[in-house]
Amino acid sequence: MIDEPNAEQLLTAMAQTLADTVVPACTGAPQHAARVVANLCRILARESAAGAHHQEATVADLQALLGSSVADLPALIAQLDASLADGDGVPDEQTFRTLHANAARRLDIAKPGYA
Amino acid sequence: MSTQPTPNEANPFAAVEQSLSALLDASTTVTGVASAGAVRSTLFVAIHEDEVTEPRSAVAQISAATATFEKTMTIEDEAALIRLAEKAGLPVAEVLAVSAAAPEIDAPVLVCAAVDGETIPRRVLRMIDGHAGSGEALARECGRALALLHSIDPTDVPARVERLDAANPALAYADSLNDWLEQLPSPRPALRFGINWLRTHAPTPPPQTALIHADFRNGNLIVGPPSGSGTTGWLRAVVDWEVAHVGDPMEDLAYLCLRTWRFGSDAPVGGFGPLAALRDSYESHGGVWRQDAFDWWTIARTAWWGLGLAGQADAFVRGDSSSIVHAASGRRVVELEYDMLNLIGDHHGF
Repeated sequence: MIDEPNAEQLLTAMAQTLADTVVPACTGAPQHAARVVANLCRILARESAAGAHHQEATVADLQALLGSSVADLPALIAQLDASLADGDGVPDEQTFRTLHANAARRLDIAKPGYA
Repeated sequence: MSTQPTPNEANPFAAVEQSLSALLDASTTVTGVASAGAVRSTLFVAIHEDEVTEPRSAVAQISAATATFEKTMTIEDEAALIRLAEKAGLPVAEVLAVSAAAPEIDAPVLVCAAVDGETIPRRVLRMIDGHAGSGEALARECGRALALLHSIDPTDVPARVERLDAANPALAYADSLNDWLEQLPSPRPALRFGINWLRTHAPTPPPQTALIHADFRNGNLIVGPPSGSGTTGWLRAVVDWEVAHVGDPMEDLAYLCLRTWRFGSDAPVGGFGPLAALRDSYESHGGVWRQDAFDWWTIARTAWWGLGLAGQADAFVRGDSSSIVHAASGRRVVELEYDMLNLIGDHHGF
């Protein structure tokens, strides 16, 4: 059995409730906090729907860049960071494109339309 | 020894009012709270100078007596810089009183005249949208203000104010960003990529370092329509001088133009004005524009804010902060990473 609404649906409803009901009923700092929480709910709803797919794409990019078969994203990120720390600082286009594509995917979740 | 008023059911601000009255030598009442933080509280106050005239509106900043951030300047130095800027011709909020240890509350206090106008960035942009030509006028006034600020003799700046290495402030700044990056608990390869770039592409050093505001952006500018029928005078005051220091003047110009301070607008200068207006005004008031340094500082300050947001998120994750805003900052770092990468990509044609 799968319980419904799912995470994406619940988080979207939570954001809508905060925006429609709580934000108009508050002022000042509580209103700002409610807006922030509503936005975080929207981010988590998008992450619930698309986060795993985006992570798979980033893992594939990093494996290609680093010539690695490791499938763990944090380990790949740490490996890239270590190689940049040891490098000569000259910007490499493939590294740039990998980082840029990763940032664009994360923005698709954190702030659609920004990239 | 507290920024918070002594609890008093009749008047919770009694101690602060006594303190300000003694400091200003005039009866003073608290009329509102602009913000109340752990480090600094900002209060709206009314100063009753005599029984005949209307009370004077002012803003009192009361710092925590125990706040000891390494690079935070003293409140007396901050007041001295505001007065220097005013003397140079910048619009500022006049300093009415300053004390490192105000009577009754024994805390640092800075009282400045209230300046009418808007500071909330999106409201500033809406105001500008409603007045044709005002965005260009405001960009020009920012260029003038920065040229005047940068003309101040650095030897007049109080000795305790931070000074970046005059020989190469950019490299000194890039090294400080790298130190900050190393302190973050999680790897940030995009920021490391950017900081590596900064360290290997430093611009020509400035002919001479200058007093810079370092937080000169939409949000720290009090803006309002000019009085009467004039078309200039949109910039009513430059506020928040607490991170001012001696460095590369192009840092201020670049910082004003970061995408993150445009608040969704396309206009390069603070979201309200064209770059040509800022540059033309800066140069016509004696400033020297160095494009390579402008580009470099745009990338550097973008990386800096990315690190700042990452640091806020880290404080939340560590449990040092319970702020939901700091938690949310963790999901904003990528905006700055993306902006920074685009700026570097544009530079190299990637």
